[in-house]
Amino acid sequence: MAGDQPPQRPRGSDDYSSGAGKGWTAVAYLISGILVWGFIGWLVDRWLDTGGLATAIGVVVGAAMAVYLIVLRLGGTTR
Amino acid sequence: MTRYTTALAADVPFPPGIEEFYPPSLVGGAGHWLTKFTLLIWIAVAILIVFFLVAYRSPKMVPTRMQWMAESVYGFARDRIAGDLIGHEGARFASYLATLFCFIFVTNAFAIIPFIQISPNSHIAFPAVLAVISLVMFFWVGVRRHGFWGYLKHAMIPPAPWFVLWLLIPIEFISTFIVRPFTLAVRLFANMFAGHMILLVFTLGGFVLLNSAVAFVKPLSVFSWLLAIALTFLEALVIILQAYVFTVLTASYVQGALAEDH
Repeated sequence: MAGDQPPQRPRGSDDYSSGAGKGWTAVAYLISGILVWGFIGWLVDRWLDTGGLATAIGVVVGAAMAVYLIVLRLGGTTR
Repeated sequence: MTRYTTALAADVPFPPGIEEFYPPSLVGGAGHWLTKFTLLIWIAVAILIVFFLVAYRSPKMVPTRMQWMAESVYGFARDRIAGDLIGHEGARFASYLATLFCFIFVTNAFAIIPFIQISPNSHIAFPAVLAVISLVMFFWVGVRRHGFWGYLKHAMIPPAPWFVLWLLIPIEFISTFIVRPFTLAVRLFANMFAGHMILLVFTLGGFVLLNSAVAFVKPLSVFSWLLAIALTFLEALVIILQAYVFTVLTASYVQGALAEDH
């Protein structure tokens, strides 16, 4: 069955399938953006004793970069 | 259920705790290698092998009911999941995706089958292994397509100006290679865990109400059980949906690894 070509039928479920993948990818970006730079900010906090300021900056920068990544990777590409 | 009906007279352990998800060894000395969960996994594998072998033993032009079911499941995985998400290369992955969908569906379904009523997937170990298989698969597929460094570049370096790139690469790495398999495993595990917990709370809660010292409270147990039945139907929906979501996301990750740079 390796040569089988899936029939190209427009159906409602198609949108759901690829939409779900993109949605979860976006969520993964947001979570990891906040985690990665929040964690690095937290380390900086521990190191320089800045009382949570670096963590806050890290979380916000991480979230912003995640949104930027989402636009970059998922925005405007209609498959 | 029998366990609980026999325990009716005695005090029911309420509220249920997480020890429910650590079933004891079935045979002395086998330890964790032979518990209700591992037995259920083997039963699920046996069911799937027998089902597909029998269904396709002598395929007919006009399919029997069983052959029709097997073909529908495979056709669904090939066309609606592999075909739609991965595209014309999807047929290569159809057999794995169909197997994955069926396996998760059958193991999930144990959650609401009477007298079994718990799914192995409500223990994190089983979804974790499935998620690791998905991770290894999309990584391998990506390396085959782009080469090792080519794939890492493809997966981790987005088309962005250099001065933000260093902020983005760690996010790409964590989200692709850690958050993806982690969420894949936790989504399935948490759904099955919570589903089992909810059914336990309302089933056992009915007995707790029935054993109540206050006569007025006793009839309320009927409502608890009615809710348990209603939630079992909800659980049936979750079982299918989670099997589908896991398969769709695996296909979508494979597609991402195969995609050309844009």
